[in-house]
Amino acid sequence: MPSLLEIQRRMRDAVIADGAAQVLLPLLAGGHDPKARLAIHRHHYQASLTRALLDKFPAVTWLAGERFAIAAAQAFARAHPPAAPCIAEYGADYPVFLASRAGAERLPYLRAFAALEWHLGQVSIAIDRPSLKIESLTSIEASELVDHQLTLQEGLRYCAAAWPIDDLVKQYLSGAAPERFTFEPAEVHLEIRGARGEFRIERLTQPEFVLRSAIAGGSTIGAAAERALDIGATFDPGQALLRLVSDGLVIATAKPETNP
Amino acid sequence: MASSRVRAMPTTAGVGLRLPHLTDVMATRPSAAWFEIHPENFLANPHAAELLVDIARNYPVSVHSVGVSIGSASGIDRPHLARVRALVDVINPIFVSGHLAWSTHAGAYLNDLLPLPYNRETLHIVSAHVDEVQDALGREYLVENPSSYVGFNTSTMTEVEFLSELAHRTDCRLLCDVSNIYLSAHNLGFDRDRYLAELPPDVIAELHLGGFASEPENGGGEVLIDTHGSRIAELVWAFYARALKHFGPKPTLIEWDNDVPALDVVLAEAARADAVSRSTLAPGQVHALAP
Repeated sequence: MPSLLEIQRRMRDAVIADGAAQVLLPLLAGGHDPKARLAIHRHHYQASLTRALLDKFPAVTWLAGERFAIAAAQAFARAHPPAAPCIAEYGADYPVFLASRAGAERLPYLRAFAALEWHLGQVSIAIDRPSLKIESLTSIEASELVDHQLTLQEGLRYCAAAWPIDDLVKQYLSGAAPERFTFEPAEVHLEIRGARGEFRIERLTQPEFVLRSAIAGGSTIGAAAERALDIGATFDPGQALLRLVSDGLVIATAKPETNP
Repeated sequence: MASSRVRAMPTTAGVGLRLPHLTDVMATRPSAAWFEIHPENFLANPHAAELLVDIARNYPVSVHSVGVSIGSASGIDRPHLARVRALVDVINPIFVSGHLAWSTHAGAYLNDLLPLPYNRETLHIVSAHVDEVQDALGREYLVENPSSYVGFNTSTMTEVEFLSELAHRTDCRLLCDVSNIYLSAHNLGFDRDRYLAELPPDVIAELHLGGFASEPENGGGEVLIDTHGSRIAELVWAFYARALKHFGPKPTLIEWDNDVPALDVVLAEAARADAVSRSTLAPGQVHALAP
C-alpha cells in the first residue's frame, strides 16, 4: 500500500497535468468511473486558476485575443502551480510566461504590458499610509541623510519599457477602439501609484525614475542619487527628493545598521 | 486553549462574506447575524483587510481557512498559518476552522480540497497537524467534513469514525457541513442519515449549508458538485432539519462562493435557515447556543 505522501504526489500530478492517474486508479472508489471523479478535481484546478488569471489580466485578453489568453492561462496553470493559498499573489511570473508563448512574437510589448497590468492590480488593493513630513528629513544633517533609506508607500511600482505601454492601457480603459492607433517603440519610465481601488500612471524623466526606483529597491539616498546623476549630470537629487516627499510617497526613513 | 477575548455566540444564521459584498456591507450595515470569511481572500489584499477589520468591530466574524492543509503528508503550510494567526489576532473571530482535506504538496498549492484515505497513517498525520494548528493559533480549530467525489479502497474507517477519533485525540471540535454530508452520501453511496446519527452532538460547534450542482455521469446517474454557487437544495433543507433535531441548536452559516448574487439573496437563505430552526427546535432551544 503506498504511503499518504506517495498518494498525494501522484494525485498532485494527476490534478495539475493529468499525469500518474493510472497508478492511482486501483486505490480509488466512487461512482462507475473513479477516473472521471478524479477529473472533477483536475477540472476545478484548471478552471479556477484559468479564471483567476483571466480576471487579473483582462487587458491582456483585450490586446492578445481571448483564444491566446485562455490557452496561455491554462498552460501557465499546468506549468506553474501556485506556491501559496492566496490567489491574489498568483501570476507575478505570468508576464514572462506570456512572452514565451508561440504567437507572442507579434506583440513585442506584451510582456511589459502584462507586467504593467499586474502592477495596476497590485497597487489597487494597497492602502495609503500616513506620509512623512519634509521636516523629518530636513532635520537630518545632509552628511547623514545620504546614508538613509526611505520606505515608500505600498501601492507604488516602477516600470520601464521600450514601448509606450501606458498609452495602450489608456486605450483599453477608454473602452473605445480608435479608428487608427499608431504604436511605435518609445522608451517610457513609469510610476504606478494606487490605493483602495484606484490607481494612476505617471511618466517620469529617466533620472527621476532611476532615483525613485532605486530608493524603492532599498538603496540609500546617496547611492540612488549617484545612479541618477550617472544618467543625467544636470539632475538635482535634492529637488527630486523634495518632490518625492511632497508627493506623499515616503512613509518612513531609517539609517541601516552597518556591520562593524 | 482559550481565546483572549470571548465573543457572544450568534443565535441566528450567518453568511459567508465575499469580496463583492465588502463595500455593500460597509455602506449599508445589513442586519446579518454574523459573517464568515476565507482568510486567503484578505491576507494578500490590504484594502480588503482594512475593511474587514472595520466590519469585525460591528459583527461577529468567523475565519474559515481553505489553505492550511491539515491533510498534507508533506506538512502544513506554516508560513500561511502564521499569516492566519496574525489576522485572527486582529479580528478576534468567534471560530477558526478548516477542512479535513489537503491542498498543498511539496510547495504546490492545488486550489482545491482534496480527499484523504481514512486509515491509521492519515489519522496520525492529521492529528499531529491539528495539534500544531491549535498550538500555533492558541485556540480551538474546527475541522469540517469534506465534500467528496472519490474515496479510497485503502480506507479502514468511515469518515465519521475518523472525525470522531480526531476530535477525541486533539480536543478539536467539528464543523458539520450538512450539504457536504448530503452530497458525499450521494456521490459515494453511503447512508447519510446513519452518518448523521453517528456524529456525536457534543463535538459539533457549527453547521454549514451551501448550494451544489448536478452533472450527468458516463454510465448513468449524476454526480453532485460542491459549487457553492446556488441556493440550498430543497432536500438539503429537510436534511438540515434532521441535523438540528440530532445536534440541537448550533450556529449555522450559508456559503455562497461562485456566481455570487446580491447580498440580500444570501441573507434570505440565512433567514430560511432560521425559519427551519424555529420550526424544528423547541422555543427554548433556539436561543440556547452554548459557546
